[in-house]
Amino acid sequence: MNENDQAYDKWKKKVEGELSKRPERKESFKTSSSIPVERAYFPEKIDNAYIKSSGFPGEYPYTRGIRSTMYRGKHWTMRQYAGFGSAKETNERFRYLLEQGQTGLSVAFDLPTQIGYDSDDAMALGEVGKVGVAIDTLEDMEILFDGISLDKVSTSMTINAPAAVLLAMYIAVAEKQGVPQEQIRGTIQNDILKEYIARGTYIFPPKPSMRIITDIFAYCSEHAPSFNTISISGYHIREAGSTAVQELAFTLSNAVAYVEAALEAGLDVDRFAPRLAFFFNGHNEFFEEVAKFRAARRMWAKIMKERFKANNPKSWQLRFHTQVAGSTLTAQQPENNVVRVALQALAAVMGGTQSLHTNAKDEALSLPTEDSARIALRTQQIIAHETGVADTVDPLGGSYYVESLTDQLEEQAQKYMSQIDEMGGAVSAVEKQYMQREIRRAAYDSQKRLENEEDIVVGVNKFQVGEEQAPDLLKVDEAFVEAQKDRLKQIRSERDEDYVHTVLEKLKHTAQDNGNLMYPIIEAVKAYATVGEICHSLRDVFGEY
Amino acid sequence: MPQSVRFATVYGMYLENIRELEVAIMDKIRVLIAKPGLDGHDRGALVISQALRDAGMEVIYTGLRQSPKQIVRAAIQEDVDVIGLSSLSGAHNVLFPEVLKELRNKEAEDILVFGGGVIPLEDVKSLEAQGILKIFTPGTSTKVVATYIETAVAEHRGEKESHVLEPPKKVDHIGIAVHSVEEAASFYSNHFHLAVDKVAEVPEQGVKVGFLPLGNCKLELLEPLNSDSPIQAFLDKRGEGLHHVAFAVDNIQQRLDQLKKEGLKLIDEEPKTGASGHPIAFLHPKTAHGSLIELIETEE
Repeated sequence: MNENDQAYDKWKKKVEGELSKRPERKESFKTSSSIPVERAYFPEKIDNAYIKSSGFPGEYPYTRGIRSTMYRGKHWTMRQYAGFGSAKETNERFRYLLEQGQTGLSVAFDLPTQIGYDSDDAMALGEVGKVGVAIDTLEDMEILFDGISLDKVSTSMTINAPAAVLLAMYIAVAEKQGVPQEQIRGTIQNDILKEYIARGTYIFPPKPSMRIITDIFAYCSEHAPSFNTISISGYHIREAGSTAVQELAFTLSNAVAYVEAALEAGLDVDRFAPRLAFFFNGHNEFFEEVAKFRAARRMWAKIMKERFKANNPKSWQLRFHTQVAGSTLTAQQPENNVVRVALQALAAVMGGTQSLHTNAKDEALSLPTEDSARIALRTQQIIAHETGVADTVDPLGGSYYVESLTDQLEEQAQKYMSQIDEMGGAVSAVEKQYMQREIRRAAYDSQKRLENEEDIVVGVNKFQVGEEQAPDLLKVDEAFVEAQKDRLKQIRSERDEDYVHTVLEKLKHTAQDNGNLMYPIIEAVKAYATVGEICHSLRDVFGEY
Repeated sequence: MPQSVRFATVYGMYLENIRELEVAIMDKIRVLIAKPGLDGHDRGALVISQALRDAGMEVIYTGLRQSPKQIVRAAIQEDVDVIGLSSLSGAHNVLFPEVLKELRNKEAEDILVFGGGVIPLEDVKSLEAQGILKIFTPGTSTKVVATYIETAVAEHRGEKESHVLEPPKKVDHIGIAVHSVEEAASFYSNHFHLAVDKVAEVPEQGVKVGFLPLGNCKLELLEPLNSDSPIQAFLDKRGEGLHHVAFAVDNIQQRLDQLKKEGLKLIDEEPKTGASGHPIAFLHPKTAHGSLIELIETEE
């Protein structure tokens, strides 16, 4: 027996040892023809090249997945992004989704909340409750999670510039429910760099924004160790029109920038790195997408181990959420979107995602209705329970095509990353608009290919039919906006105004002095200071971008 | 030549030169692409900006998070012909009309406004009724947008009076392929009491035609004259039935040019004379969602 075979035996023994603690979903897996399904399949001869490039599931460099049993142990988390209108309406949708078997929550906030304006701010005109739920004060957050125990669910919040404020509110709600902050689980997106690049909900200039992020890292590593402090996102970069390689390269470059900022702030890499999470796009090109996820894991493992000398294997593991590509949904023949979503979701599962959002078919037209949101969730459940793809780890590993794509994506992304390093890293590349330009060019090229019919989009530039009637769409009730504003007014009149003033002044001082901002922000939200007031206080100190 | 006449002539010439100069400067269409509200999705706005530049227009992009007031101020400062608004956050029903209102406040209603983004069909109609010239929904090709703007601006500046951006005036007639005009006509006569007011043969197209007036429209019965007739081919393939619909339009040639630029396939690039003696042309069903559409220029 050579040493590589021994390595295999060692892995096998280790996994079997773990099974007693954490058994798989079934005692044994088999196909319809009773062919046994192995945990993972390997080349006939396991050589050094294989161990270096692929390794064993759950082991460095994690190309084949970050867990040794992957979905044989537990399916991915089915996490549907939801939120619209008032906190009360969204709370009802959350409870509905949990009843339907969803396993985690994902909160969409409206744009005023995401950019730090209250519902009654002039800048919020027309936007309140439109793309997500409106949160002005802690009271809205209490209503949002009413009847949902925060020690039972994990919650993902798509919030970036004011992430510290919403996290503070979440902690405060948990405390009111009697759940200590050490127990809360979930993720805040908190990825400001991609906001400058592709998504647009930034408030402050890059440098103070990076500081808020490292303050959150520091606070959570001490007080909320199970909370993912950032979800470094390629999703929006891809939606803005990038290629798969650009998505990979820009996301990992941003990630490197966050690690560097945290190290500069004096944090220990193995304390914060295990709580870094990623968020990728599940796009159309099936094999390239699978390869992208595999390449991302391998690249991150190498970066963390070799470049940042992390020792904790958890620091090496790239854990990621996937949302399938909203930009591929068509307003024409919206039923076809169900099929697109299923195939994109399948690629994400083949690529080893930790959690998944499947889009609803009507999202090219508006927010999903309850029916279309249910079909979207059912799509994941069908992949998980009916297709058998979850029964073996990394089923496409070893495919000549997929392995070659994995290598080539890594190589090309690496080139981009070196270029960004030469420019002084992601923060300075963002300031120089480098990534923005690259993405804009890719987006325009893809639109031209579509119009020249080099690329076919079914129902859009080929296979069109006369359009049927407008389908049922979800409309946000405008009446709630006035109610939201009235409630805000009432809270302002009932709270202790002097105390609010004091805590906001304290927040400004901390912002000037380099102390950790999380502490005064938590005080401020508990005093029912609004998202707008807290963000305006910080604007006074940091300025606006 | 009396002094005053000479002066008038020179002044007239001068005016004419200024005009030419103005036309040369004005020639390039100036467009402001704007993102009202807080929505940060600017992929569409950026792609449209580039496409309009490639089509020879001057394009100014405002960047994100512009209030209606800021947009109108920029449009006036930049002296644009057209504002393009993009919104994907659902705020269009509030923000687009605000831009129109602000244009009225600043007496700048001569600036045309179009919009695009994630906008449900039912909102399109009401926004257009409020004065947004056109809403382009997802999947619209950039060619269609550019051609539309070119024509709209040319008409607005008075360089062209083609009305090609107006909807057709009415349905002129509905074409029905039949084996025999006489037999079909007796069916409409017996059961609907409709009468044929004219029967004509158009040998160049291989058809015999019978017209039955019906309200402000007509039924056009089409019978093949010989086996080469396109109507014969239609009957062989599909049997008798609805064949085409004809829209009454002005300026048929300009409209055909416009449709061609928008990327539609035309059967007739030049109008020809139809059975009723009017200029007509057919569009290809392939790029018309499966229907054979005829344009007909009538004098009313």
